[in-house]
Amino acid sequence: MIVCVAVVGHQNNPLYIQSFTDADDALKLHHIVHCSLDVVDERVNNPKRSGPTLNETFLGLLYPTENYKVYGYLTNTKVKFILVTTDLDVRDVDVRNFFKRFHAAYADAVSNPFHMPGKKITSRTFAERVSTIVKSFGFSSAG
Amino acid sequence: MEEYPEELRSPPVRLVALVGCPELHGVISSHLHTQQPPINTLALPDLSKLSLLIQNHHHPSNSSVGGGILKRDWLVKHRTKIPAVVGALFSWDHVSGDPAQWVQVCSDLDHLKAAIRPRNIKLLVVVLLHSEETSEDRLLALRKRAEIDAKYLLLFNPDPSQLNNSLQRLGDALAELATTFYRDEGRRIKARIEKKSFSSLDLQVRYCFKVGVYAEFRRDWVEALRFYEDAYHALREMVSTSTRLPPIQRLLEIKTLAEHLHFKISTLLLHGGKLIEAATWFNRHIISYKNLVGPPKVVFLHWEWLSRQFLVFAELLDSSSAALQSISSLPVATAEQPLTEWQFNPAFYYQSAAQYLKEKRSALEFAVSISESFNENDDGSAESVVPSIYVGQFARLLEQGDDLATQFLTDEEYTHYAIAEGKRFQDSFEIIAFFKKAHEIYSGRKVQRMCSRCAFEIAREYFCLGDFNNAKQFFDGVANLYRQEGWVTLLWEVLGYLRECSRKQGSVKEFIEFSLEMAALPVSTTGTIQSSQCGPGGPASLGQREMIHREIFALLNGESRLVSLEGSNDLKVPGDNNLHLEIDLVSPLRSVLLASVAFHEQIIKSGVSSLVTLSLLSQLPLLIEIDQLEVQFNQSECNFIIMNAQKCPLQADSSGQHDHRMESAPSLALVTNKWLRLTYDIKSEQSGKLECISVIAKIGPHFTICCRAESPASMDDLPLWKFEDRVETYPTKDPALSFSGQKAAQVEEPDPQVDVILGASGPALVGERFVVPVTIASRDHAIYSGEMKINLVDVKGGGLFSPRESEPFSLDSHHVELLGVVGPEGEDEPDKIKNIQQSFGLVSVPFLNIGESWSCKLEIMWHRPKPVMLFVSLGYSPNTNEINVQKVNIHKTLQVEGKNAISINHHFMLPFRRDSLLLSRMKPVPDLDQLALLPLHETTILVVSAKNCSEVTLRLQSMSIEADNDGTEKSCSIQHGGEDLGSAVLVPGEEFKKVFTIIPRADASKLILGTVHLKWKRHSGVEGRSGLTLMDAQVLTKHKLPDVLAEFSPLIVSLDCPPYAILGDPFMYSIKIRNQTELLQEVKFALADSQSFVLSGSHNDTIFILPKAEHIVYYKVVPLASGSQQLPRISLTSVRYSARFQPSIAASTVFIFPSKPHFKMAATTVERLESVVAD
Repeated sequence: MIVCVAVVGHQNNPLYIQSFTDADDALKLHHIVHCSLDVVDERVNNPKRSGPTLNETFLGLLYPTENYKVYGYLTNTKVKFILVTTDLDVRDVDVRNFFKRFHAAYADAVSNPFHMPGKKITSRTFAERVSTIVKSFGFSSAG
Repeated sequence: MEEYPEELRSPPVRLVALVGCPELHGVISSHLHTQQPPINTLALPDLSKLSLLIQNHHHPSNSSVGGGILKRDWLVKHRTKIPAVVGALFSWDHVSGDPAQWVQVCSDLDHLKAAIRPRNIKLLVVVLLHSEETSEDRLLALRKRAEIDAKYLLLFNPDPSQLNNSLQRLGDALAELATTFYRDEGRRIKARIEKKSFSSLDLQVRYCFKVGVYAEFRRDWVEALRFYEDAYHALREMVSTSTRLPPIQRLLEIKTLAEHLHFKISTLLLHGGKLIEAATWFNRHIISYKNLVGPPKVVFLHWEWLSRQFLVFAELLDSSSAALQSISSLPVATAEQPLTEWQFNPAFYYQSAAQYLKEKRSALEFAVSISESFNENDDGSAESVVPSIYVGQFARLLEQGDDLATQFLTDEEYTHYAIAEGKRFQDSFEIIAFFKKAHEIYSGRKVQRMCSRCAFEIAREYFCLGDFNNAKQFFDGVANLYRQEGWVTLLWEVLGYLRECSRKQGSVKEFIEFSLEMAALPVSTTGTIQSSQCGPGGPASLGQREMIHREIFALLNGESRLVSLEGSNDLKVPGDNNLHLEIDLVSPLRSVLLASVAFHEQIIKSGVSSLVTLSLLSQLPLLIEIDQLEVQFNQSECNFIIMNAQKCPLQADSSGQHDHRMESAPSLALVTNKWLRLTYDIKSEQSGKLECISVIAKIGPHFTICCRAESPASMDDLPLWKFEDRVETYPTKDPALSFSGQKAAQVEEPDPQVDVILGASGPALVGERFVVPVTIASRDHAIYSGEMKINLVDVKGGGLFSPRESEPFSLDSHHVELLGVVGPEGEDEPDKIKNIQQSFGLVSVPFLNIGESWSCKLEIMWHRPKPVMLFVSLGYSPNTNEINVQKVNIHKTLQVEGKNAISINHHFMLPFRRDSLLLSRMKPVPDLDQLALLPLHETTILVVSAKNCSEVTLRLQSMSIEADNDGTEKSCSIQHGGEDLGSAVLVPGEEFKKVFTIIPRADASKLILGTVHLKWKRHSGVEGRSGLTLMDAQVLTKHKLPDVLAEFSPLIVSLDCPPYAILGDPFMYSIKIRNQTELLQEVKFALADSQSFVLSGSHNDTIFILPKAEHIVYYKVVPLASGSQQLPRISLTSVRYSARFQPSIAASTVFIFPSKPHFKMAATTVERLESVVAD
């Protein structure tokens, strides 16, 4: 189950962060997303280690925590997408697929002429679309 | 890792025992210890000790315990007590001695064999002999008795020359036997495993562990690893099957053993450099045991265990050099290998260890609270609990007289014991230590977010411990990062803690700062996190912001007091000294109050009022009312105060002690995210920069916020709010001003009300003291402490005048020189500053009242003709005599052309109709022809002409030739008419000539004639122009005459004829040839006929002239034509010098009148020496 998704701007500021748990761990998830930015930085700054992932937007598993797995994605405009899941057995394909759809939703949201680049995403449509994508995570991969 | 027993932590070392001959034990054991791999030695002085050592373990002390997987002391026993080999040392004397000794040796050997046989310990017999002589028979007998191979009977020679050799052989044999022992033991147990001849899984684990240990003794790491892993897997299977112990203790035993096995495996893997395998193994280890939590009462044990796993692995990684080396070459996580780079970083494991320890603490607290409520009275039962002989088991120790017996524990009892044990430890410090370790590693690798996460956890622990100083220090660092990256929710949490820290420390100012910052954070309703885990700041929400806002302003207005948790010291705004907050350009409090100041005009005239707009913005959630605003400028007299008319309309008169301007605004209320714009006049009297420094807002009786003024044009966005989607408005009404407005303006100095007149005209003449009159006339300003600066600047090149390198000749170092400043007549004040340099002057100007004027004259001299720019600037204070009053400056420039006044030329002439034969001129020598050639002892006429090339009329005073040195007097004599020229006035372009005669006296190769000195001055025909130059200023212009050559002339020819003739009237024409030499001269002459004349006399002839004699040739000539006619020309040839010469045409020309002229003035004498004005 996906517990948190986040969009992080290129100054490492959160543009959109939404958790999908009933538990009281939203703050903890914010911490996890924030810490995972270190790994993104590391991957981006040391491209030699990610030889095969050159020009690849999907950054893979970023960060193991006791209960979560954190995946990252970096767009061409240096906007980062972070996904936190509780599933311990996640297929890479599913994550990639998720990020692809999420990226599309993000691109649509920032293409809104009333959206100021670099500001937080407050669009309700985007939020609804994201929660749809989150809910369908893992199921849609078959299709 | 330190919790583990030593035998587990280090790899096992083989053990051998030495018996007999104790004097050699020291040497041997130290040799064995340095072997590679080392061997530990048990040195036993005699045999009885050995059997004691070995047999001691044949009696399990308490069989009452139902057994376990692994005995606690098994490993230590094999490492320290049971040797693999026993080396029996016998002295050759005893072996080869009398039968009694031999019997003793045999019985010792038998005892030994009996002692070691049950454990299959190998035997090595060593015979010490001091000489080479041995008896094969005795040795054979000894070997038979000992039942050993021949190679395990060693001869040991302790003689120093043989000692090393002997030791080497002994060491090799011992090592070989030890390896055999451990291999045999391993094989024996391995066989049991392979045959599956064990009754329970317990035994399988035990066997596998033992084989692993034996393999480690042999340094067979691969086999050790394999069997440890087998043991580990078998152990994991036992979790569901074993029933031997009650469930809690059963799980405890399994986990403890798993921990040991895992430690062994990890150590071996890391030792072999298999970092990825180690991390993967650790991952699997955690996954397989993570869910074996156990009953809720003892769940804290599970967390403690997990924490320890992470800690130990972290320490292993930390100390493993392999981890550091290979970390950069690690592959990225893939699907098959779900590891990330952080899983090779010890910091991650330290962090996790701390996290689990926190879990343990909370679980323990829960368990303690339950157990206390249940069994309050049951104490003491936990005291006699000790670790049992099996690893991971505990038992109760019962004292029965002298005997000690152990007894099983029930789970209930064990739980009680574990809780009691847990209560004894304070986990917080360990948690802090683990986090600090992680923090250190992260910060070393510049992983700042993880680092601040750890710092946050450390701070939280300190906070819980009540160590607010430390907590605040860490929280501050964390807050900075969150501020920088705009993580508002996280920042809110940290600020909540910080606020609480300052509340508890009683620091009012910080409390208010943090509260205000929290209240102004961009936490909106949409992003609200409703979490029970939030810190003391409460949930991040708009409601909470408003609550904090109200609380703070109630406190500031003195309406409420804030009670710190200690209760004793109330937090309140101190009444006597004001609370003052500073907000600068980087302060996080900028969103609380932002002041932008814009001047409407960039350049203001001094004393002219202009507009300035002050805009304030606040992001506090509720409206705030400001009582008073003070605007401060760098020119403090411009400061003004804006009063809130609603709040304190009557205070205006009470604040009369300020000399600042008071303004009143109808309302000074700040609404969230809405600019409050105030526009006021401003007037500065002082020129220069006028900059708004700060705006001080006063809220309530004792609270002021000093906010640094910012220019709207260069204002940064609010750091956190810039990411928010909010309405953004301009700080000023005019949007253009918002883009260009500055908080500073330039104040121009007032227009000067004084005239500076430079009254010079016309070009300056080189050499004269050119005077530039300067007049300072005051129109509307009085002049105080006036100062005039004069500067001469080259028009072309700029800069001051200095001789160029291409012009080495210079009369002075400057071509144009400021000579001095002459004040008005009769005025010579002693205190007047005069600082005159060659191109720069500074003159003080006396006090002048309005309408007065003052003048002075600048004297400038040109040494070369060139144009010069004259700068005159006057600085003065218009009003008072104070020193620091702004000065007014006036600048005037004048370009003055410097010109040569007079150009002087000269030429030489010989006397009329008198020619000298100069031989050098006949045969010109190339290098001398530049110089004029004069006949020696003959008169030569020098004509000096001076031409006025200026544009003014000049009056010449005198012209003379001055000798340069005394030698001139001897070599030539120069005569001329009177020096005084009277009043020779030269209009522009006119030329003046003066004639000098020169008679060279000495036959010098070079004759220095001297310099022409011409004294002149400007001709002031009209007296009114006298101001231009000084009347008595004579100017001397010099002209250096060239050097000449003087040569002796052997023949001198003079023509003699009347000055004019009358047509048809005959006259005498004589040619006088003078021989100046001491020799007879033969001269040929020829006379050419002329159409205009008829002559009588010889046409050509050769004559001889005696030395120092004259010969005259006479002709009678009758002119046939009138006008200027050419006389018949004579040409002379000196035979001796073969030189021919002819008088010039001008010399042989005569004017013929048609008839006798009638002159009014009879007999005009023509003087040869006179000054004539040519033309």
